[in-house]
Amino acid sequence: MAALEVRDLQTHFFTREGVVRAVDGVSFSVDRGQTLGIVGESGCGKSVTALSIMGLIPKPPAKIVGGEVQWEGRELTTLSERQLEDVRGHEIAMIFQDPMTSLNPTLTIGTQIKETLRRHLDISKDAARKRAIELLDEVGIPKPESRLDDYPHRLSGGMRQRAMIAIAISCNPELLIADEPTTALDVTVQAQVLDLLEELQASHEMAMILITHDMGVIAESADDVVVMYAGQIVEQAPVQELFDHPEHPYTEALLGALPQIDDASGRNQRLTAIRGRPPDLIDPPKACRFAARCPHASSGDSCATHMPELREIRPGHFVRSQHPASERAGKRVEVTA
Amino acid sequence: MTAFIVRRLFWTLPVILIVIFFTFVLMRQIEGNPFRTSERNVPESIQQNLEEKFGLNDPWYVQYAKYVKGVFTLDLGPSLVLRGRDVNDIVREHFPESLELGGLAMLFALVVGIPLGMLSALRANSFLDYTAMFFSNVGFAIPSFLVATLLIYFFALQWGDVFGFPTSGWTTWQSKVLPSLALGLGPMAYFARLTRGTMLETLQQDYIRTAKAKGLRWRRIVAVHALRNSLIPVVTAAGPILGFLITGSFIIEQIFAIPGIGRYYVTAVTGRDYSVVMGLTVLLSIIVILANLVVDILYGILDPRTREART
Amino acid sequence: MATPARSAAEHAPLVVSPTAETMAGAPIRQRNLWQDAWFRYIRNRAAVAAGVVFLIVLAYCLIFPLVSPYDPYDVEFSDARQNPSLAHPLGTDAFGRDLLTRTALGGRVSIGIGFAATLVILAIGVAYGSISGFIGGHLDNAMMRALDALYGLPYLPFAIITLAILGNAGFWTMVIALSIASWLTTARIVRGQMITLKENDYIRAARSVGARWHRILLRHLLPNTLGVLVIAVFLELPGVILGEAFLSFIGLGISPPEASWGSMAQEGYKNYRVFPLLIVIPSVAIATLILCANFIADGLRDALDPRTRET
Repeated sequence: MAALEVRDLQTHFFTREGVVRAVDGVSFSVDRGQTLGIVGESGCGKSVTALSIMGLIPKPPAKIVGGEVQWEGRELTTLSERQLEDVRGHEIAMIFQDPMTSLNPTLTIGTQIKETLRRHLDISKDAARKRAIELLDEVGIPKPESRLDDYPHRLSGGMRQRAMIAIAISCNPELLIADEPTTALDVTVQAQVLDLLEELQASHEMAMILITHDMGVIAESADDVVVMYAGQIVEQAPVQELFDHPEHPYTEALLGALPQIDDASGRNQRLTAIRGRPPDLIDPPKACRFAARCPHASSGDSCATHMPELREIRPGHFVRSQHPASERAGKRVEVTA
Repeated sequence: MTAFIVRRLFWTLPVILIVIFFTFVLMRQIEGNPFRTSERNVPESIQQNLEEKFGLNDPWYVQYAKYVKGVFTLDLGPSLVLRGRDVNDIVREHFPESLELGGLAMLFALVVGIPLGMLSALRANSFLDYTAMFFSNVGFAIPSFLVATLLIYFFALQWGDVFGFPTSGWTTWQSKVLPSLALGLGPMAYFARLTRGTMLETLQQDYIRTAKAKGLRWRRIVAVHALRNSLIPVVTAAGPILGFLITGSFIIEQIFAIPGIGRYYVTAVTGRDYSVVMGLTVLLSIIVILANLVVDILYGILDPRTREART
Repeated sequence: MATPARSAAEHAPLVVSPTAETMAGAPIRQRNLWQDAWFRYIRNRAAVAAGVVFLIVLAYCLIFPLVSPYDPYDVEFSDARQNPSLAHPLGTDAFGRDLLTRTALGGRVSIGIGFAATLVILAIGVAYGSISGFIGGHLDNAMMRALDALYGLPYLPFAIITLAILGNAGFWTMVIALSIASWLTTARIVRGQMITLKENDYIRAARSVGARWHRILLRHLLPNTLGVLVIAVFLELPGVILGEAFLSFIGLGISPPEASWGSMAQEGYKNYRVFPLLIVIPSVAIATLILCANFIADGLRDALDPRTRET
């Protein structure tokens, strides 16, 4: 059985303007030692999905209105806040996008690691300090003893994200959720941090959910990929399969938007863009949510009136579209701006 | 940290010099001031005393230097009106009351205002929040003389038998309750509003989400992560307010007939006792400066980022 | 994070590339800043209500003395200290003068002093702050150090000394006394705004195409500080109005028979044990105005500077 199993998760925001269906029926599972990549543009619900698993969505206005989050056989959505607190940081840990703001500026790095250790493990102050130094060393922060008493503002962005990672893995979690862990970092540092995450995942035998808008990150680190669009999963496949045979027009567009540096002809190609914008998630259309932007859809199609089901087009490869690439009989229409 | 405090202390000196200078220049403009030799009806003995002390026939900068020396040797010169009395005597006699009044009012403002603001923020948009903020907004807007008179009217006169608060004076603890409340209400309301605002803002911060993601107990998140960061703006505001409470208690001292420095200040201005006015102004300025100094040091303790940046 | 953004950019093509997140987040303005601010302001119910009440109070103070059947200076001892009635909706004072009329008259003086002093404060603050912020460098450093020093001046004592220097207290002497030590915060705000704006790309762009400094200052920097200044008007107003009330209350400001809310409160204070209404009415008028100014300032801040909006 998978370590984490999310079934038909629905998280809605109850705002003054109406109910925003930020996450609308999302299902996936992650095994230990596996990395699930969730990819999509901002506002597609990928972060809300992660926060829903952790029980960290802002309530109000947000609420999980349906679905299950099965963690090691336990249902997380029905746990009390106190029970959830025991899971968070201990069994499931999370790191966030911006290491500049995600660490408390008024507490030392050491304090912020030690408080996590002392919260979840029965450990003395001295032992916590020793463990904190080991952790900083493990995430590749030089001179960990002296860094322990430093405040976050003394560290560079990459070092801060490493410190965040040290906090996250401090209690040996079984699942690590990384929400855009490299987006706020310098390009040169991004790769280092990704490598570190991969290394740690292997050595700690963790399951990992890697959330990003960057197909490059997915290609480097993920085993399985979930593509989200407008609160729903539109495509789901193992990483190699997805990159080799993308089915959903949106996925194709995402891949088309990735600069192809090693491809000689790619230098002359323009980055492709997708016309239009995602639908309003208050009262979304009954139709396929991508229909308005889809280069293959026409008004007569059933996807203009009915939401396509997420179907298994090949073993292990799911797609939610009436016009997947393999059913377009060879005529690949270029998605252009 | 020690270096920070020493640097900050060092910077206080020129500030005090500038403030004395401003006071000095302003006072020289007043008709019949102690630093103008013409058209004055000051008793002969005091005149001589002043002459000797500040050298009134010297150029102004020598007079200024001598006055500064006086301030730093804690000798503010003689009173122009009260024969044989020094400004020092007056400070010694009246200052403790003002200090105590300001301190008690500040204590009330902090001890009630900050928890009230915290509660409001943690229960944002609840009935408690709305009630607390309604009273804070009103409390902040009402002039202290109305608060004082209403407190006297109800708690000392109408229901005086029940509460046993006197209408005036500064002797027993009962006599200190109403003035401290009257003076502290406005700042209390201010602290409540400020704390609510900064607390709400802090609770939105990413590092609070991180703390939650670490599984910390809510109590610890509020006490360690949220409170400390929300208190930074409160501390910044507390300095000027403490200064204001100690130096701006004229009205409360007058209404409750408290023999404090504020009341004496007004008496001295209307009685044209300008050496006393000058001495007291310098004293009050130094208090404000010291209050700001304490705030800066607290600020440095609360927010490590400022320790290096600020002098 | 939270809710999906719903920007006004209906037809902007969305580029899905590694930078898509940042690009999609950039808002596209279809209305200008002031229209935008206006729409945000009128959505804030408390601020709208405060604005309406504020205008009503202004209109009452300006118009009512003209249409009132009573002369606000006319002493009629037989009518003294009447409770509110049809003839005198707010009652009469110790001299039999109609309080509704006299409060309006006092309001003219108090609000007039309030606005005049606020404008003086803004004028000095803008001049000082923009020179310091615009020129920058050593001058900025020196000017800010001087400002730090001036923060040591206690506000009320300096207002009092200024009054003593200027002699008898009238409208304009009060304005000067109240603004002399109050422009510091405005100067600091304006300087901060200047420095922030100066770093903006469009200012750099203007510089790089060789725009003259006075053109940059007048066309780009000052208009963009306007929002801050509009807020500052309503932030400064309460302090000034309270200051007037305090000074008049201790007998150093506007003195009877001229009316200001402070001098009326002082008159009322003399009678509060027998007739508390006399101090309550001008105080409530002050409190109402300050309360409105606070809410208006909050509303304006939310409307003009959405970044700092509270939840």
